[in-house]
Amino acid sequence: MSQGLTETVPQKEKLVRRTLTGFNPAIESLLAAAVGLIIGAILMLVWGYNPWKAYAALLQGAYGDAYGWASSAARGVPLILTALTFSICVRAGMFNIGAEGQVYMGAVAAVAVGYFVLPAGLHLIVGLIFAMIAGAIWSLGPAILRLTRGVNEVISTIMFNWIARFLTFYMVAFVLVDPLRGEKTISIPVSARFPVLIRGTDLSWSIFAAVAFAIVIYFVLWHTVTGYEVRAAGLNPSAARYGGIKSKRTMLMAFVLGGLGAGLAGATIVMGNPPTYAIISGMPQLMNAGFDGMAVAMVGRNHPIGIIFASLFFGGLTAGGRTMQFTAGVPLEMVRVVEGVIVLTMAIPELIRVFRVMRSSWDRLMSVLRRRSA
Amino acid sequence: MTDKDRINRNEPSRDYYLRAEGITKVYSNGTVALKEADLEIHRGEIIGLLGENGAGKTTFTKILSGLLPPTKGRVISPRGSVRFKSPREALSFGIGMVYQHFALVGTFNAAENVALSHDHPFSPIQLTATKKKLEQLMEESGLRVPLDVPVEKLAVGEQQRVEILKVLSRDVDLLILDEPTSVLTPLEVDELFALLRRLKDAGKSIILITHKLKEVGSVTDRVVVLRHGEMVGDVPTAQASTEQLAQLMVGKALDEEANAVELQDKGLPTAERERANVRTEQPVLEVSGLTVKGNTGEVAVDNLSFEVYGGEIFGVAGVEGNGQSELVEALTGLRSAEKGKASINGKNILGLDPREIYMLGVAHIPEDRWRLGLVLPFTLAENAILGVQRWDEFRGPMSFLRWGKVNQHVRELMKRFEIRATGPSAPAKSLSGGNQQKLIVGRELAKDPHIVVASQPTRGLDIGAAKYIRDLLVEMRNKGRAILLVSADLDEVLALSDRIAIMYEGKFMTIASPKDLDRETIGMLMGGAAVKEGAV
Repeated sequence: MSQGLTETVPQKEKLVRRTLTGFNPAIESLLAAAVGLIIGAILMLVWGYNPWKAYAALLQGAYGDAYGWASSAARGVPLILTALTFSICVRAGMFNIGAEGQVYMGAVAAVAVGYFVLPAGLHLIVGLIFAMIAGAIWSLGPAILRLTRGVNEVISTIMFNWIARFLTFYMVAFVLVDPLRGEKTISIPVSARFPVLIRGTDLSWSIFAAVAFAIVIYFVLWHTVTGYEVRAAGLNPSAARYGGIKSKRTMLMAFVLGGLGAGLAGATIVMGNPPTYAIISGMPQLMNAGFDGMAVAMVGRNHPIGIIFASLFFGGLTAGGRTMQFTAGVPLEMVRVVEGVIVLTMAIPELIRVFRVMRSSWDRLMSVLRRRSA
Repeated sequence: MTDKDRINRNEPSRDYYLRAEGITKVYSNGTVALKEADLEIHRGEIIGLLGENGAGKTTFTKILSGLLPPTKGRVISPRGSVRFKSPREALSFGIGMVYQHFALVGTFNAAENVALSHDHPFSPIQLTATKKKLEQLMEESGLRVPLDVPVEKLAVGEQQRVEILKVLSRDVDLLILDEPTSVLTPLEVDELFALLRRLKDAGKSIILITHKLKEVGSVTDRVVVLRHGEMVGDVPTAQASTEQLAQLMVGKALDEEANAVELQDKGLPTAERERANVRTEQPVLEVSGLTVKGNTGEVAVDNLSFEVYGGEIFGVAGVEGNGQSELVEALTGLRSAEKGKASINGKNILGLDPREIYMLGVAHIPEDRWRLGLVLPFTLAENAILGVQRWDEFRGPMSFLRWGKVNQHVRELMKRFEIRATGPSAPAKSLSGGNQQKLIVGRELAKDPHIVVASQPTRGLDIGAAKYIRDLLVEMRNKGRAILLVSADLDEVLALSDRIAIMYEGKFMTIASPKDLDRETIGMLMGGAAVKEGAV
């Protein structure tokens, strides 16, 4: 039993310590990012590339100028949303990896709305709503299986991802296909596109939709009774039941909210990403948006605000990776390696224990310092 | 404890198998679990280790089997002093333990499970050898289990036999069984005891941990009684009467003065308090014919009927695991009942969910504050509204949480219930156990309930916090609320309750006023022994 509250600790040190504990998740994420970059550098050395040059190019490409920032942010937009999908379910105590399929369905719905003729603005909003609903409906499948039959959501969401994938292939090739160019769907009409935010870049107003969604999720989870119940059921299902919380309801809530986010992500990709505004066959822009979101969620510590920053970082890796490829000659795949190592670093619980050991040695250091000063 | 309490201590002899001398165990949180415990174990005898919850039975056997190191004292064999660093070492020395909760892999069959405790469990050679050995063992001991069926498909009694076989297959000389009969049907108990006798005849020593007096009488040769970590009795079973054992187990009522001192030490009220007679005419809680099943499908609460009135504390005493938890869970909506009725102020509560039951005026202080009572990573404020998060006071338009109001509520709770914490945003896990419990009790009492169901409300708390919580319960009683107090702490139940029920195997052995029950009777009832005519 922790006798945590030590009244003897001086006020100033208490403040320092509390601030540090508050930042702990952020510090852990930064450490993981650093470890990822270092291991990436070692691999580059092994393969005879110059890591300094590579990272300088990556940094320049990602955050060196307004163009870099804009393309990093543009690549981060769908990641914010798919990361939220994953995080909401983690907060509710589930491991939902269905964002990928829900993104596809959102994109398909958004393209389908392209057939409508509506005034600008309204057309965009209708498209977003359709996409979000499509994502939510797609996540209802695993939700219903889980709630009525107890099917593990990991398995069902993987299966639904595959179904969504081939359904989308079919839709792209036969239903939504552009009659003039068979390799893609029809393009979203201008009236339903997100306006470009910074001229000459691919950053559009979709970033506001993503950030707004993140903020909404933050308020839902931390400032509403429903969000409170979702988090309580996720952290301690027994105590939640004791507190009169119906965990089936909170699970359904999390699935639906997550589906809305993933559907929106699909919409931002096709409606807010110049120059295509369509799904190209093989879905290169959609592929992995959902899976990468899981990595972003981990680094963002499943917190909406953390996820925004983590998305900017992952977007920067992708955007800067291209610069790295043509100035330093390091293949783009190296970026994926770095991402992979970061995720592994975040995921290894052993490492969290290492962090704990580090914290306790920090405490010891503080106590030595205190004795010195006394 | 004085020496005169140690009845008939056997003279040390040379032909012992193992001897524990002066074993003391102090846990890192300062709890003294064992004080200078001595025990001599001979070949070919069954020793019953008797005691209440927390008497130190399990600690003692854990030290013997190498799971825990003693703080002081030693274990010696005729070959010299022995010190085990792990259960594996103890096992190769010849000491094996069968725990209350089985350590079996459900999808493996018996042979595979037994092979797991050997060095190369997955080699075909080992598996064949194990199978052969098991067949031979089953032949010798008469202990039969199907070898090719996954153990999860076996009955609980059969699973226990697999556990015993697992230990026997390592050629142990001393077999320790922790409450082995708690999960068995009466027929399975008979079979187990027959087996133990056969093992004894084969020269094995057996320690049987139990709190059931009947079992001690039927199978053991010698009874060792532990109370509050001390060995208070070591008698041949033939010479021990049930009454004598019961008294040893729960302790003798000392003379008035010493009694008062002891109670004060535990933070319990000393004399009969000024108790306003505020008992209501109508019962608040009415239960009739309630039958509830436990986790393994056994009948945990057996056709129980009782009432709790407003303005009274109804205490349920008994050794843990006799259906108390299941009773509480059924009454608070956490477990469904099989049969029977239960109502609060005339309104049925069976089949309702916890929130609906709370709306009828039931507050629940759960027995496990970490599993049920709190969401540990949540802050104080978040925990303080668990269960009442939908109160209009806290819930604004669009179900927005009014954190301002919540924090104000928490500050009031902190002040009223003396919860010490840095503030409403402190994580619940940073609080001490006493403050965590005060938070739960405060939250529940703030609901202003008709009845408080308090399960082990002071477990693990220091004297100050325990006393504080007990006083709160008495205060609620004096306000005319009903209290259902379930506690394994006999002194607590005796000191607080207006009426006491002793629970044993899902039934109330008696419902009586604490004044009419002497400790000997209580001990016997707790151990399931029938009481002589006119004793109650």
